[in-house]
Amino acid sequence: MNAKAQKPKGTGIDPGYYDGVTQAIRSAAVKLLQEGEVATVVGYLPGRRNGTAGPALVTSVEQAQKLVFSPACVNNLSLYLTKAKKGVLKPGRAAIVAKGCDLRALAGLMGEAQFKREDVTIIGIACAGVYRSATNAGTPLTEATIAWKCRECTVHTPEGVDVVAGTLPELPELTPAEALEIARLEALPQAERWAYWHEQFSRCIRCLACRQVCPFCYCEQCMCDRNRPQAVEGSPRPAGNTAWHITRAMHLAGRCAGCAECERACPMDIPLNLLNRRMAKELKELYDYEAGMVPQEKTPLTQYREDDDQSFIK
Amino acid sequence: MPLSITEQNLRQLVDTLVKERKLVVGPKLTDGLALYQPLSSGQELSLAKLPRRSAKELFFPICEDILSFEKNKQGTTVNDVDRSHFPEAVLIGAPPCDAASPAILDAVFSWDYQDPFYLKRRERSTIVGIGCRQGDDACFCTAVGIGPDSDNGSDLFLTQLKGGGFACSVVTPKGQALVDSHASLFGEGAAGQTRPFEGKLGDKLDLAKIKKWLDEHFEDPLWESIADICIGCGACAFICPACHCFDINDEGGTEKGTRRKHWDACGFSKFTNHASGHNPRDAQNKRYRNRIMHKFKYYDDKFGKTLCTGCGRCIRACPVGIDIADIIGTIEAK
Repeated sequence: MNAKAQKPKGTGIDPGYYDGVTQAIRSAAVKLLQEGEVATVVGYLPGRRNGTAGPALVTSVEQAQKLVFSPACVNNLSLYLTKAKKGVLKPGRAAIVAKGCDLRALAGLMGEAQFKREDVTIIGIACAGVYRSATNAGTPLTEATIAWKCRECTVHTPEGVDVVAGTLPELPELTPAEALEIARLEALPQAERWAYWHEQFSRCIRCLACRQVCPFCYCEQCMCDRNRPQAVEGSPRPAGNTAWHITRAMHLAGRCAGCAECERACPMDIPLNLLNRRMAKELKELYDYEAGMVPQEKTPLTQYREDDDQSFIK
Repeated sequence: MPLSITEQNLRQLVDTLVKERKLVVGPKLTDGLALYQPLSSGQELSLAKLPRRSAKELFFPICEDILSFEKNKQGTTVNDVDRSHFPEAVLIGAPPCDAASPAILDAVFSWDYQDPFYLKRRERSTIVGIGCRQGDDACFCTAVGIGPDSDNGSDLFLTQLKGGGFACSVVTPKGQALVDSHASLFGEGAAGQTRPFEGKLGDKLDLAKIKKWLDEHFEDPLWESIADICIGCGACAFICPACHCFDINDEGGTEKGTRRKHWDACGFSKFTNHASGHNPRDAQNKRYRNRIMHKFKYYDDKFGKTLCTGCGRCIRACPVGIDIADIIGTIEAK
């Protein structure tokens, strides 16, 4: 499932580019906090370990001066604006640092009335790419370590944001990986494809990192937590695991913004984003819909139209 | 008397134990992912990578049946799980951060309730630990008083040698029994110089000082500052060698079903949710505080042990980069 067969190719991205984005984020964040425009900046701070960075809810100018952007800034921070994280932001407006893929999530969340555009200042990153996994931190960004989503990215340039941080460097030509993997799986006979997913889901330990890291998994009552009656077996066993992941993929169809955080967060390396991308492909084919940068209140699966495709009803 | 074993003989030992119908569990690579798995041959043993999950699951499985029940016209029958079928097991190739954990967990599983599942598996298992030769910057075993050459929890302990092979030291009678029953695979006398550890080892932290701070700071701004970003998943707890909370669920239909015990995590918002709807840990930072308190205060209060072996798994796996070594280091510096 990974690109181990290929020889890692450097991306050739100028390291100075990341410093430029960092400076732009810092000055925007400092200004917003100093002028009282926002109470919190949701951004990235460096971690203790070499080359690492993680989410931070920055409320002081002193902290804002330490904000960074690097290939280790893998997180989609938009989840901190959802009701699942209610109460962690200081009262007042918030600013958020967002890559193009995160902007799609922000648009989706606005469409679902999680927050209003006017309540959030968006610092959009002109993004050249991030690591596939936080464990790549401190290593060069290569075709092998860059996230699969970045290899097929169409949203390098942020749109509709309040501040654009950084200037895009010359971008390397990267070969798609995820699309190829989806095509490979689709070409398998059904029994083999089922065996593939059965093997993947059997590794699941139900830590629910996929759910918790997902900006769209903000349900107050998740069906997998229900026990009266139980909807999905809560114990980590293959049948319940399969039910859980398929149900989740269905619930995200037409909503998932493709940030691939579920896959990145999975400690068992289950390629969950393949399910989400496959569902996105379905939405594209059936309804010509794809997650975009503009909030939409009514998406294909939240409305009924007489001309909807009904060929699946047999 | 010092003993040694060649790598070939170590693999031969696995083969022999498998032939003896023992359950042999050790690090095994599948598609690049290392996990502790039952080995079918010595060739499968892979000592290069720290397995993604700890070895606790040999004693405390991710999920296990604890009883089954059936309802019919005659009434309800409850069937216990036959624990006499639990196999004799050998855990082989566990580094000190994994080998140390069962000895820590014994305290809680044999405290007010003797957990027959855990204890039966422990009784029937022998742990062959192996000195660790490679660490990364998430490792902090030395900070919590373990080290790459620590034989805590091992029954037999292997140390890698420069020229290949291992020096063996017998730590417990179980380890001695394993050596005695396979004596031909072991050589006598030290077989060479120890392979040096590659990587940086941190200093031991003052765990008593950390505990004292925790004793006095149940309420502190630190908790919000480190854990408001916590997303409330169970990744840290599930891959931890020492976290041992579990949930019990009845699963099945109205006629019959199974009672299952499976891993749970204090990071989940439902973990302390009362039937009334009240949740005493009603914010994520309070749940994360519990993780630190349990490891470095409550377990010490109750059993005189620290509930952390410094393996660094939670640091590597946390989706939002929460770094427990950084946190206890910060507390110690206060």
